[in-house]
Order: sequence, then C-alpha cells, then structure tokens
Amino acid sequence: MSALLDDKVAIAQGGEPQRPRSGNPVRSFLRRAYSAPILPPTAKKPSSLIYGADDRPNILIALSNGVQHVGLISINLVYPLLICRAVDAPIPLVADLLSVGMIVLSIGTLIQVLRLGPIGSGYMLPSTFTASYFAPGLIAARVGGLPLVFGMTIFAGALEALVAPMLNRLRKFLPVEVSGLVIFMLGIAGLAGLRTLLGPTATPVSSAEWLVGAITLGSMTALNVWGKGLPRMLCALIGITMGYVVATAAGLLNPALWALVDQANWLGTPHFAHVGWSFNATLVAPFAIASLAAAMKAAGTLTICEKMNDATWARPDMRSIARGVLSDGLATMIAGLAGTAGGVNTSTPSAGLASATGVASRNIAVVAAAIFFLLGFCPKLTALLAIMPRAVVVSALMYAVTFIMINGLQIMMSRMLDARRTFVLGFGILGGIAMEVFPKSVNLMPSDIAAVAGSSLVASTAIALLLNLVFRIGVRKNATLSVAREQIDPQKIENFFFEQGKAWGARQDVTNRASFGVVQLVEAIAETCWQTGKMIVRASFDEYRMDVAITYHGKRLEFPEERPSIEQIRDLEEGERLLAGFMLRRNADRVRSELKDGKCTLHFHYDH
Amino acid sequence: MDVIEQVAGSVTILEPRGRIDSVTAKEFAECFSKHLHAGHNQLVIDLHSITYISSAGFRQLLIAKRSTQDKNGKLALCGISGEVKRLFDIGAFSELLPIYPTREAGIAGVQ
Repeated sequence: MSALLDDKVAIAQGGEPQRPRSGNPVRSFLRRAYSAPILPPTAKKPSSLIYGADDRPNILIALSNGVQHVGLISINLVYPLLICRAVDAPIPLVADLLSVGMIVLSIGTLIQVLRLGPIGSGYMLPSTFTASYFAPGLIAARVGGLPLVFGMTIFAGALEALVAPMLNRLRKFLPVEVSGLVIFMLGIAGLAGLRTLLGPTATPVSSAEWLVGAITLGSMTALNVWGKGLPRMLCALIGITMGYVVATAAGLLNPALWALVDQANWLGTPHFAHVGWSFNATLVAPFAIASLAAAMKAAGTLTICEKMNDATWARPDMRSIARGVLSDGLATMIAGLAGTAGGVNTSTPSAGLASATGVASRNIAVVAAAIFFLLGFCPKLTALLAIMPRAVVVSALMYAVTFIMINGLQIMMSRMLDARRTFVLGFGILGGIAMEVFPKSVNLMPSDIAAVAGSSLVASTAIALLLNLVFRIGVRKNATLSVAREQIDPQKIENFFFEQGKAWGARQDVTNRASFGVVQLVEAIAETCWQTGKMIVRASFDEYRMDVAITYHGKRLEFPEERPSIEQIRDLEEGERLLAGFMLRRNADRVRSELKDGKCTLHFHYDH
Repeated sequence: MDVIEQVAGSVTILEPRGRIDSVTAKEFAECFSKHLHAGHNQLVIDLHSITYISSAGFRQLLIAKRSTQDKNGKLALCGISGEVKRLFDIGAFSELLPIYPTREAGIAGVQ
C-alpha cells in the first residue's frame, strides 16, 4: 500500500504522472484503479474543502485524519459484540470475531476506494459495522447461532449487491419516507434487542452498573454537546474508556476477565475455526429489509460525498452510487464469509467528519483501512473490547441508536406528509411498536415464523411497504392554470405551484424549480413568442416526477445548450431571451417543445 | 420594487427588495445609473432581500458591471443565497460576476 501512496505523491508533485513501469499486472491494475480521477471534468472543488477526493495530502495529514476516522467508527464494534453476547460466546471467540471484523472493515474500505472494475465509488468512505444488521443478527443468533448470522449476512450482502444497479427503479417501492421509517425502526428494534442483556431472564442490573452506565452515557453526551475539537469528535471512544475505568473501580471487571486480556498477545493471527454457515428461509424477510436499508443508507452517504466534493453538484450520479452500493454489498458478503457478526455499511459519521475537517481525500480512507488491518492482528486489543462490561456496551448502543432514530425521523420529516404518507408512516410505526409492546399477539403463529414476523422491524416495514403500494392508486394528480396575456401576475403563478406542491406533498425544491420555470417562461415569451389568446399551464405530479406542459399560440422558444456570450446577453435584445431559454433548459431535467397549427406546447420534466 | 440606498464611506450600497424581472429590472437599472452618473463608482449590490431574479435581471447586472468598469469603478454583489443562488448557478453567473459572501466583504472588495 505504501507503494501506492508513494505513486500518489509523485503524481501530485509532477502534474501528469510518469508512472514507473511495473512488470506486475496486478500492481498496474491496482494503480490504475486508484489513481483515475473520480469527479467529472466539470466538477469544481468547494472552497470549504481543503483536500478533495482526488487530492493527495501529505502523510502526516493523512495519518492524523485516518486515526480520527478509526476512532469515530470504532463505536460500532458494539454491534458484533452484542450479537456475540446474545449467544453467550466465550471471550476468546468474541475477540477472534472482532479481529476478523476489523480486517473486514479494512477490506470493505479498500474496495470502496479502489474502484476495481464496476466496484467502488472511489470516495473517502470507510466501512463500519451497522445498526441495519443488528436486530436481524440478534434474531438469527437466537434461532441458529453464529453460523446462521454468518450465512444470512452473506445473503443480505448478495442482495444489496444485486439491487445496487436497480436502486433508481426501486424508488417506487421504497420511497424516501419509508426508508426513513426503516432506519427509525432499526433503532427501536436494536434497543428492543437488548432484552437478552436487560430482560426479565437476565441478571438484574446492579447499582454499580447504573452508575457506570450513567457515567459512560453522560460523558459521551456531554462531550458531544459541550466539547470541542478532538474530544468532541472522539466522544464515544472517550466515554467507553471512562466506562472501563469506573467499571474496574466498581469491581465490575474482575481479575479473571483482566487475566484474559493479560494472556492475549500484542501480535497474533485471528482464528477462523468458528466459521460455519447456515441458512434459514424464515429469516429472509428481516435480512432483506436490513439489506435494502443498508443500500439506501449507502446511497445517501455517497450522495453526501458527491455534494461535498463538487460545488456544481446538481443531482446524484446514479452510476457512481451503484458502484459504491455494489462495493458495500460485497463488503457485507465478505463479513459473512470471513465469520464476523453482522454486516457493514458506509460510515455516515465519517462523511460528516470529512465535511467538518475539509479533508476528503481517498488517501485518508487508505490510511484508515491500514490501521484497521493492523488492529485486526492485535489480540490484546480485541480481548479488551470483548470483556466490555454490560453497562458500558448498553450505554454505547443507546448513544449510537439515538443518532440512528433521529436520522430516521429527519428523513421521514424531509417529505411533505400528506394523508397517504401519514397513514403509511403512522400505521408502520404503530404496527412495529405494537409488536414490542404486545409480543404475545404473534403466539398463534408457528414459533419459527413468529420469531421473524414478531419483529418490530419486519412488521413496520411490511405494513409501510404494503400501504405504500395500495396508496399508489390514484396517486397521479393534475392541476391547470390559465394565464391571460393582458393580466400576467407572477405571484399568482407562484401561488398556484406553492398550493399544489403543498397539496401533492412535492418537495419544496422541485416546486420552486417548476414555479421558476413557468414565471421565467412567461416573462421571456410575453413580448415576442406569445402572440394571442390564453396560456394554459398543466401541471401533473406523482411520487417520482413533476411535469409541466405550457400551451400558447405563437412561436417556439429556443432552448440553447450553450449559454449565450456575455456580449450577446448584454448588447442584443434577443440575448435576454436566449439566456432565458438556456436557464430553463438547465432548470428542468428534460425539456421538449412541439408546434402544431400555430399552437406551441413546451414540456418541462422534473425528477422528484 | 424598492431599492434601499446606503452609504458606507466612499462606497454606495444598493439593496433591491422583492423581484428583479423584466419590469423591475428597468427600475433598478435607472437607480444604478443615477448613482454611477453622480460619480459613485464604488458600488455594492446586496441581493439578500431578493426572492426572484430572471434573465432580465441578470442582463441588467452584466450591464451594471460593464458600466462601472467604463467609469473606472468597482462593483460587488453580496447576499446571494438559497433560491437566488441556485438561479445564479443555473445561469452560470457565479464565476462571471464579482460575488462576495457578506456585505462587509463586498465593501472591502470595491475599496
């Protein structure tokens, strides 16, 4: 890997790279995969970004940022840890699973950044264990032990890889608000999964554990709210460390547990003797839902990366996103194959950290991958993680779950909630929570099916998906506005779109674009193209598109692909109209015009 | 359309409010020319109270830039955000016009 980094430095310093000839085809392939620019030629680096994806910071910056990302991601190791606890796995086995997990994170990060063939987005986006597979993982662990967790994780990864190229078409069946609901319920289901640790059959929580939990969660939260700089960024890690210290002082970590850490070597290879796979068809539903949630979340995080790296970003590049999601699915498959408890996903907090620090170079991800790889060969560290006290692990989970649930809520609330969406989300949430509050309601089902159907995640997602399909009946809405040439009132046109957009639940940005399109058009054609009669504006909308057709008697308006020159705009009368046509073309996703019997119809299409 | 006019030292600040379309762009152009002809050639146009700008508005901004240069003056635009920023981007004007993030930066830019 250092050879790769050295090559990058040479490229950064020398402009067009003079690549050393290598006789090794694998190295040449990797070098090409790593060094090809990922951003379109028209991309412009935002001023807030110091190092974009294609930039090469020096090794010190790369190292310090890589360490921060590893610190940020480490909190999510609680997910495999908790799945292991659910099956009472012995400490050495848990340590092995965590070691393998860190190596998987390293591989997942590398395939995301390298871009091998159709795989990998090339963005600085490390892999992390994810809450998406936590609740299904707990079910699998209870039903069939770790082999079933591994087997079902492979299935989920394969499914994510399979849907990656179809994500755009799947939007109809998994709209944004439903993916928000799934993420929200992943948090609820994850917390409910703690029954094995905190439920009636578990050892009662002692007062010392309450104290340790309060200090761990309190310090994480306090540092996040009032902390600054590095302490704030690494608040979860610091909170866990404090939890260990207080737990040791309170006698929750006995000498026998510390002896296990003492006996572990600083360096060593993880064992794979525990690895075995099984499959259970009744678990397909929760893992499929988790897989789709992971795909949607990865797509969202990749979109954040695109926006972060390009000031001219207008809409998601679905090809790049498909590559990234494919890579994410493969990383989860590798997690299952290698035998670690739970799937992985692109790290959204890492994208946030890159945005905050302005350092989004791919080299950072390579450094983070290298650190995780090395940590995977440190049994002492993984043994230390494996003995994490119950109070600390529960606090860490509560901290992580808080962000997941709020993230889900934000995604749901990003949509205008009309009656349909209100029922889709409302009944979905009610159904999911009912499963947790009234678990006996599934007692009539066979026990295997009840274990799955009784999951709040499956119940709420199934209800939401079903209602979403049912409510598509009559979903396409139409509205018409008539504009008299003598009484052009831009405010009336804007009000029309605002009111309709609100009634239809259209996104504000799309409504604004459609509204601007008509107001600017009317202004541009009023004097020259629109000759007589009324102009008819027909707007139609469904979940995925807004179409506006404008009909008037007169000439076509031109929609030039190139912006007219400054001189044309400034000095010629027609310059203003050409500019209007150019802006209207760029304002819409598709533009079409037709002229028949002196009647011109302009069609503007906006993706939603 | 209202235009709030302020003076900060040698700099004149014009703050149009509302919409800049084919009708109001002419009113704004008259206001701008009045200042330029009065010898105020360090000008800042603060667009933070603008809700809509059309191709006619952009044309007037380009004319304003050229007129200021002809008078050996300097022009700065500021207060561009939200929907108006989007319109600057789709018209590809963000690089063509001297845009500053704040009014203070704009004033410093023309001095």
